[in-house]
Amino acid sequence: MSFDLQKILESKRTFRRDLAARPIGEKLRMLDALRERELAIRGRAAHGDSGILREESAPYGGRKKAE
Amino acid sequence: MKIQEVITAINQMQADGIIGHYAIGGAVGATFYLEPVATLDVDIFVTFRSDPGSLLLSPAPIFDYLKARGGIVEGEYIVIGGWPVQFLPSTGPLVEEALAQAVETVVDGTPARVFTAEHLAAIALETGRGKDKARLLQFVEAGALDAARFQSILACHGLVAAWQKFERQFLSDAP
Repeated sequence: MSFDLQKILESKRTFRRDLAARPIGEKLRMLDALRERELAIRGRAAHGDSGILREESAPYGGRKKAE
Repeated sequence: MKIQEVITAINQMQADGIIGHYAIGGAVGATFYLEPVATLDVDIFVTFRSDPGSLLLSPAPIFDYLKARGGIVEGEYIVIGGWPVQFLPSTGPLVEEALAQAVETVVDGTPARVFTAEHLAAIALETGRGKDKARLLQFVEAGALDAARFQSILACHGLVAAWQKFERQFLSDAP
């Protein structure tokens, strides 16, 4: 093991590429697992009775003014 | 908790004539092209069927259909297979085009319609929140975009300036 940052970053890139290349069914099951984990970490009690976590809705189509 | 159940339910809803075309967007859509992108909900873009003579688009038929099949309404979401699902109408020409040009792929034997990578990236650029920019960067870094096709979409939808700004902010070595 080393703390060579370049190696670490390359290793991360390789890992991400490998994940991206997996079959979509497997990747969607990973999303299921990630969400379960998120629910467990955040805790249901803090988010109302239903335990359903939601994200802020995206303002699709709401383009910002040119800056 | 299974996204697969969401896809199956939506396919059935389409087959039953409740919705027209649909396409998976957001982080779940991005996962078709990238490494899994953690998210808490599923964005499904749909062409709503409006009543003849009515200009109003209503998600009520979708909610009624899914409620009758065990879906639970939570505000603007309906929970299917443990996932909050949001149904979104076309919000403008870009999303409209993305819906029309969405591609069908097969997930463990089940067909699923999803936005193209280039449309997902363009929508992320247009939406412009921090996490959208992060997602756009993921698309770029993963080499998941057809550059010519992406540029054509940007030009067609007036997003070239936004893209140039994004490039300056995130893809340039210069300060």
